[in-house]
Amino acid sequence: MTVRSLFSLLFLAAFASFASATSDYHESLVLQPLPQSALLASFNFQSNDSQESFDERHFRYFPRALGQILRHANTKELHLRFTTGRWDAESWGPRPWNGTKEGGTGVELWAWIDAVDDEAAFAKWITLTQSLSGLFCASLNFIDSTRTTRPVASFEPAGTHAALDNLHLLHGTLPGEVVCTENLTPFLKLLPCKGKAGVASLLDGHKLFDASWQSMSVDVRPICTETSDCVVQIDQSVDIVLDIDRSKRPRDNPIPRPVPNEQLVCDTSKPYHSDDTCYPLESTSEKAWGLSEVFGRSISGSCPLTEGSADGAVCLRVPHEREVHASPGAVEARKADGYTRCFTLESSTPFDLMIPEQQATAQVPLDEPVLRAERTIVGHGQERGGMRIIFDNPSATNAVDFIYFETLPWFLRPYVHTLQATITGRDGLRRQVPASQFIKETFYRPAIDRERGTQLELALSVPAASTVTLTYDFEKAILRYTEYPPDANRGFNVAPAVIKVGGEHPIYLRTTSLLLPLPTPDFSMPYNVIILTSTVIALAFGSIFNLLVRRFVTAEEASAMRAQTLKSRLGGKIVALRDKIRGKSKTE
Amino acid sequence: MGVDRRKAAVFGGAFVLRLLLLVLFPSLPDLLTGRVEVSTPVTSFKRLQEGLFLYTRNVSPYDGGVFHQAPLLLPIFSLLPSSQGFPLPTVVLYSLIDLLNANALITISESGWAVSGRSYSAIRKHIRWDGVTIAACFLFNPFTIATCLGRSTAVFTSAGILHAISSAVTGKAFNSMLALGFASYLSIYPALLFMPLMLLCYDQRAQTAQTFPSTTVFALQHLAVFLLSIAGLLGVSALLIGDFRAFLSATYGFQLLVPDLTPNVGLWWYFFIEIFDSFREFFLGVFWLHLASYMGGLTIRLRRQPLFVLSSLLGIFAVFKPYPSISDASLYFALLPLYRHLFPLMRYTFFAVSALLYATLLGPAFYHLWIYAGSGNANFFYAITLVWSLGLSILLADTIFAALRDEWEYDNPDVRGKDVKQV
Repeated sequence: MTVRSLFSLLFLAAFASFASATSDYHESLVLQPLPQSALLASFNFQSNDSQESFDERHFRYFPRALGQILRHANTKELHLRFTTGRWDAESWGPRPWNGTKEGGTGVELWAWIDAVDDEAAFAKWITLTQSLSGLFCASLNFIDSTRTTRPVASFEPAGTHAALDNLHLLHGTLPGEVVCTENLTPFLKLLPCKGKAGVASLLDGHKLFDASWQSMSVDVRPICTETSDCVVQIDQSVDIVLDIDRSKRPRDNPIPRPVPNEQLVCDTSKPYHSDDTCYPLESTSEKAWGLSEVFGRSISGSCPLTEGSADGAVCLRVPHEREVHASPGAVEARKADGYTRCFTLESSTPFDLMIPEQQATAQVPLDEPVLRAERTIVGHGQERGGMRIIFDNPSATNAVDFIYFETLPWFLRPYVHTLQATITGRDGLRRQVPASQFIKETFYRPAIDRERGTQLELALSVPAASTVTLTYDFEKAILRYTEYPPDANRGFNVAPAVIKVGGEHPIYLRTTSLLLPLPTPDFSMPYNVIILTSTVIALAFGSIFNLLVRRFVTAEEASAMRAQTLKSRLGGKIVALRDKIRGKSKTE
Repeated sequence: MGVDRRKAAVFGGAFVLRLLLLVLFPSLPDLLTGRVEVSTPVTSFKRLQEGLFLYTRNVSPYDGGVFHQAPLLLPIFSLLPSSQGFPLPTVVLYSLIDLLNANALITISESGWAVSGRSYSAIRKHIRWDGVTIAACFLFNPFTIATCLGRSTAVFTSAGILHAISSAVTGKAFNSMLALGFASYLSIYPALLFMPLMLLCYDQRAQTAQTFPSTTVFALQHLAVFLLSIAGLLGVSALLIGDFRAFLSATYGFQLLVPDLTPNVGLWWYFFIEIFDSFREFFLGVFWLHLASYMGGLTIRLRRQPLFVLSSLLGIFAVFKPYPSISDASLYFALLPLYRHLFPLMRYTFFAVSALLYATLLGPAFYHLWIYAGSGNANFFYAITLVWSLGLSILLADTIFAALRDEWEYDNPDVRGKDVKQV
């Protein structure tokens, strides 16, 4: 070894030790079986880099591609979400991470951008969406001015920012975006272990996007504490709810098959029970599943870059009585709450979990959600409709205060003066009340055609044990035929509404996205329409101006004139013929 | 006395009919407000309500894509009680405006300007209806009633135009220009009526005073009054609405550039849905030029009948303006009975009337098939608007033919009743 390479090696080692003081990386996976054979898997990857090294473009754990984009777009804080499916709050309870790491169906992006004024901020925002579009292989570049809003009360910066004055919050949604494998691959590339090791090695597009609900998030924020310097934190998470039965089907034979007769457990008490008639009994035992069965692969050891995480990387939330077989070598630690056990992985040793079938034990208790919200389009026909938003407060004692935020595309024209509210108590009686009784504050920015969408933010309060329904009318615009997508009759997606409950540590809820059918013209006949309309116009113009420019004569005069013209025409022809013949004879 | 009693009966009957319809069918006004044939983006009462809602909450109603009507309507309607809770006062207001319009029609009819002018008098002027009959034709026209109950703000424009004409025929040229200024302020297109209206005022002045004021001075004076009245109204609007530029682009810019392609009975909406993007601006220019071209042609050719030019132009607007509705047609049909003496000269009355009836009956049905039933497509309603436009333009061309023929017969008394040809 030469002196020079030794020197560089030493330098590298020194640099690494210096960097490790301010940067670190953690990853974790929490598995929790949910009712109805669902399994919630929450992956979280978090890394910190010091603000200094970030500013000097020394990226250790922070992905360089993303860091450069953020610097280029003056973005101080970034939140990006890719979501598909619907979180079934009725059976699955409250959302993971209190909803702070999920987005509305499709893609949702919001960021705090440092700029002198609104216009400069919007220019940077466009830069940001264009770059992220390339990085994540998503249609983020379609977030234009009509899909961008500036929420007032719905989002608070999660990081520490020195000067909030110049920061502009911009928010954009793409409710129609289909999230798929091509978004997962760049997401995994951002991780220090690139999905090759650690819990991320479980993430497989085939299983992930086959889930009942999944949400991928990327959050970048600066964090400053009083004692230490600032760090830039990137927090990536993937939350999925898998259907265990569905995921256990082998990939080469995914068609569900009926249970063979001899394995059926029948309810023999039914009067129609016989050899060929069976009323299947609900199985009382909990199903068996394993990591490699559900995800199609096992964890290929821990990511070597994770440092000093005292807790295990993989946690399972099942009652302690439940039997669990982990791969040898993994260290199990049980938590005092009686439901959590965590496993610490070894690097380069594959890890798997097997949960065998077992008679039903106690369930992990699920909390009641603080609020249920549902938003639907009512009415029929392609001309107009109504929006109905239902807020249900399950608490028997406390009123719930929240911010309701929705963005509507410009071609949906809401009539705010028709906003009405009804309240239903637990007695089931519906009463019409003035909306101002629940709405404490309103921020409304109406849409401008082809320029911006509607932004509506309401500060609402729903009394205890009651359901409040808000309704308003809207009109559907008809678009120019080039503004329709190729599948025009499918309808247009309306972004989900975002609900923020509470102040300091807010809980976020999102409604489902909506499908809005618009009236469509006939796309096959632009030429015909242009021709037919032009014909009618020409007919009117022609007949009126024909009348205006001509003079009247009596019928006799007219026929005389016509006869004259006929005679003179004939005469002219005869003369021409004669000349022709003479001319010919001369040349001969 | 007898005439007065008839007039009272017609007016009272029309008023009671409107109130009765409201009482018997309380949902009728909202139903009509939602019809595309009655309400256009620039006259819709629902949009006015939305603008009013924003205005009363100190939000600029023009900072949005819904409200495109003149700002002076806002303080007027903010004085009325909410039409959702109390529909009666609004309908009473609209009915009274209808009655005022009918009264203006009676004035126009009784002035006799429809049958004779300064240098022309119709041959068949004994064939005519009296003012009350014409008012009854207007008041009991289903289109007028639908417009009134649908509370379209086009009613205010119609009132401005009719009062401009009735002031002109009674020699109140100043009032006439003010009224036209008001109508043009509400919806830009009545400004095209300035030329014939000014000529009507001039003829009236020349006939009554038997003096011939200098044409240029007269025209400039009236143009100044007209422009000043518009400027005054715009000034008041600017005081009401802070953002003058946003108000201009949301109202006049909106009417000129036609960004909202909501279906209506006119020809523009489907054409501009289907036109290729690169030709959009070109055809916008062509359509507006086409609309304006009739003003010059008719005014020059029918110089001796300025009132007829005004009526025909209103008919042309009802077909070719960007956001026409049946209220424009009802205004044209209100003035048409003034020309009862031309009816014997018309050639295609049956065809035109059948086309109009056909379109009136099938229009709502085909719209339903397209929007609600889903068993038809946009072409169904489009075809009906074509028939409607065709019927109206045939009627227009036919009345213009009759008026020209009548004028020709007046000039050549020896050719009366003979077959004619145009060369």
